[in-house]
Amino acid sequence: MTALAPNAQPQAALLELRNIQKWFGGVHALRGIDLTLQPGEAYHLLGENGCGKSTVIKIVSGAHPPTSGEIVLNGRSYAALTPIQSLAAGIETVYQDLSLLPNLTVAENVALSEQLVRAQGRLARLFDRKRLRETAERALAAVGLPTDRAFLGTIVSDLPLASRQLVAIARAIATRARLVIMDEPTTSLTRREVDNLIKVVERLRAENVAVLFVTHKLDECYRIGGHAIVFRDGQCVAQAPIADYSKRQLAELMTGRAIDAERYRTGVPLSGTLLQVEGLTADGVENVSFSLGRGEILGITGLADSGRNELAMALTGVLPAKRGRLTLDGKIVSVRSPAEAIGHGIGYVPEDRLAEGLFLDKSILDNEIALIVRRLAGASGIVDRQEGRRLAERLSQEMRLNTSDLDLPVGALSGGNQQRVLIGRWLSIGPKLLVLHGPTVGVDVGSKDTIYRVIQALAEAGMGLVIVSDDLPELLQNADRILVMNGGRIVEEVEAERATEDQLYQAMLTTRTEIAP
Amino acid sequence: MTPSSETLAAAPSVSARAGFGALVRRRPETITALLLVAICGTVAVVNPAFLQPATLIDIGRASVVMGLFALGVFIILAAGGIDVSFTAVAALTMYSMTVLAQSILPDLPIAVILLLSTLGGAGLGVINGLLVHHLKVPSLIVTIGTQYLYRGFLLSFIGTVWIMSLPPQMGAFGRMPLLQFSAANGATITLPFYFLVLPVAALATWWILNRTLMGRAIFAVGGNADIASRLGYSLRTIHIFLFGYAGALAGLAGIIHVCANRQANPFDLVGTEINVIAAVVLGGARITGGTGTVLGTMLGVLLIVVINSVLVLVGIPSTWQRLVVGSFILLAAAFFVTRQRKK
Repeated sequence: MTALAPNAQPQAALLELRNIQKWFGGVHALRGIDLTLQPGEAYHLLGENGCGKSTVIKIVSGAHPPTSGEIVLNGRSYAALTPIQSLAAGIETVYQDLSLLPNLTVAENVALSEQLVRAQGRLARLFDRKRLRETAERALAAVGLPTDRAFLGTIVSDLPLASRQLVAIARAIATRARLVIMDEPTTSLTRREVDNLIKVVERLRAENVAVLFVTHKLDECYRIGGHAIVFRDGQCVAQAPIADYSKRQLAELMTGRAIDAERYRTGVPLSGTLLQVEGLTADGVENVSFSLGRGEILGITGLADSGRNELAMALTGVLPAKRGRLTLDGKIVSVRSPAEAIGHGIGYVPEDRLAEGLFLDKSILDNEIALIVRRLAGASGIVDRQEGRRLAERLSQEMRLNTSDLDLPVGALSGGNQQRVLIGRWLSIGPKLLVLHGPTVGVDVGSKDTIYRVIQALAEAGMGLVIVSDDLPELLQNADRILVMNGGRIVEEVEAERATEDQLYQAMLTTRTEIAP
Repeated sequence: MTPSSETLAAAPSVSARAGFGALVRRRPETITALLLVAICGTVAVVNPAFLQPATLIDIGRASVVMGLFALGVFIILAAGGIDVSFTAVAALTMYSMTVLAQSILPDLPIAVILLLSTLGGAGLGVINGLLVHHLKVPSLIVTIGTQYLYRGFLLSFIGTVWIMSLPPQMGAFGRMPLLQFSAANGATITLPFYFLVLPVAALATWWILNRTLMGRAIFAVGGNADIASRLGYSLRTIHIFLFGYAGALAGLAGIIHVCANRQANPFDLVGTEINVIAAVVLGGARITGGTGTVLGTMLGVLLIVVINSVLVLVGIPSTWQRLVVGSFILLAAAFFVTRQRKK
């Protein structure tokens, strides 16, 4: 790697953080972080939500100033960076939202920043369209995207997610980035798209660009290799090659306690069928039939376009099915809307909890009782807050929320706690069937553990659960059976206890070519 | 492309979808142009008098003030904001300038009057921009506030008297011809010189938006202000420029309004904001920002002016103008939105 470095002295550190402290009001978010990043190396910044990962990134990218400490960038020392200083030094951050401007073209998203940085942020400059096109073409070719005029002129909101990710990386290349920070880049990507991304990362490293990942997905970290940096409570607790740690060690470093990586599912389903699905057909779902027992946990997986998402939404009335029959508890039920689903005792925890599930600026209490306000109101029409509070207290304990302040807005909670509030809300109606869609997306290791334990407790109590997820270890650890979807159909059914990840991938990928040549 | 790029080309072929739908999606002002042609065609058939030079020149003359306002509204809309104070900016600058030229500095040349009005408008606009940026309040609220403020200042401190006789140099500018010829019935028809201001301002606006980094930054902010600031665009500079530029256009529009009407009425202009915003939206700019073109804005202005001035020619009572404009806005908006969803 060093052989590729241009003339400079080998292994001069790219970026150094010295004793960085950050206070947000009374919260000590960073307690003296020391970090050194070398060119061309890959780093994985690991830690639970709220450990200070995002704060460090914001300090490095110039979005927040540190309270104290020193940032040494290319040999120059700064007390704080501005976004333009950070960009000009070659630090490009690809946030989870990718920081793309949805209304501009691909070429502009890739190459406009380069001109802005060249002008040092001054806007009273001519906009060089020829240069824009050339820069964009070079950068897009480097990440393997098309470079024709039609693609350059495409408005970014018209692109699929995976291409947008590559466009964001192309922008990093166009601005001659020396450090690319990627914030949970693979959360919403399919396995094949992740493979693509990993190839691009290798190419970046070959050009002596350092890459810093922030992620919860340890498997991908091992595939990429490089260094692990583990944060806990605003401190850096470990920094060494990732190969030196086992998954279990990393999880323990992150949480500061021992984490059980064994199967969570220890119980067995009760006798009797809870749900019978026959010939269910919806947009993207073709003629799907399966059954679910009382107290059974059923996993459903597949690629993003396999129909798994649509199946979850059809079961819960979010996107009603066109044909097919649902029998719940021996009765044929019609689920044409979420309200009908709730009426039958079918709950749905959506994948995008922020957009579809939670009222972020409302309190935990208000969120927990959202489904039962009418019942709490009774005949008088006035909500019984006392009763609601008692109920919410019980739910929060059951869900092991890490705060007892029910008046805290949900937006202030970590991802894992938000998810628990959402599941808790469903428990308020005592559902017979709960469909969980990506229950631990963007949730840290410790919270995952709690959520899994809750899921198991619900099944023990006789509730039927369907987990729709692309996190295969999650399904293998929690489910009784796993259905694999492909091209809108169920192509494989396995016993989770005896299945392997590879077996599931095979079903997700290979049969696909047979179905749709 | 590198050899391995085929394997990496995860992007689906975003083929240039041909056809009308794609055209409208990319250039919504096509709808505006079609509506305009349809109306002009219909009116011309029902009443051929429409095609007389006198009518066309009337339309051109009536477009200038609204067109200047619309360019300002458009550039702010493109950045995701909205401005409803521009009429008050225009009223304050035009009336103050007229008072200045009439009673304090009667020898002020017209070029200086125009320049001072533009600068005055820019100054008031910059106040808007600073308030929007530092108060972090939506621009709609800020400009509702400054609209009252500017107008209140005008009526309380500058004057409430309707000035019927302008300083001579202003009257002369309003009458100065660009084109002059005799119509069939012997009347003299004049296209005034001030008409030129509109195409020049439109070209300048187009140039700023499409050929400078500031222009691209304005659209970037309209796409998503948080992301734009994260990418290093200075929101403060952009806000100040935006509102300053729109204010300058409003100041210029105000003084031209006075010269063209040969009187200065301090109660004038305020109240016509919605008409202008309607024109910009009809021109294909989305109210949520980040889109639109100068050409579309000009077409939108033309559409509204044509509706306002020619319906009478085909025997539709003038009270119907609002009904027609309203239906067009809903129609065009519905069309843009369905096209958007059908991607």
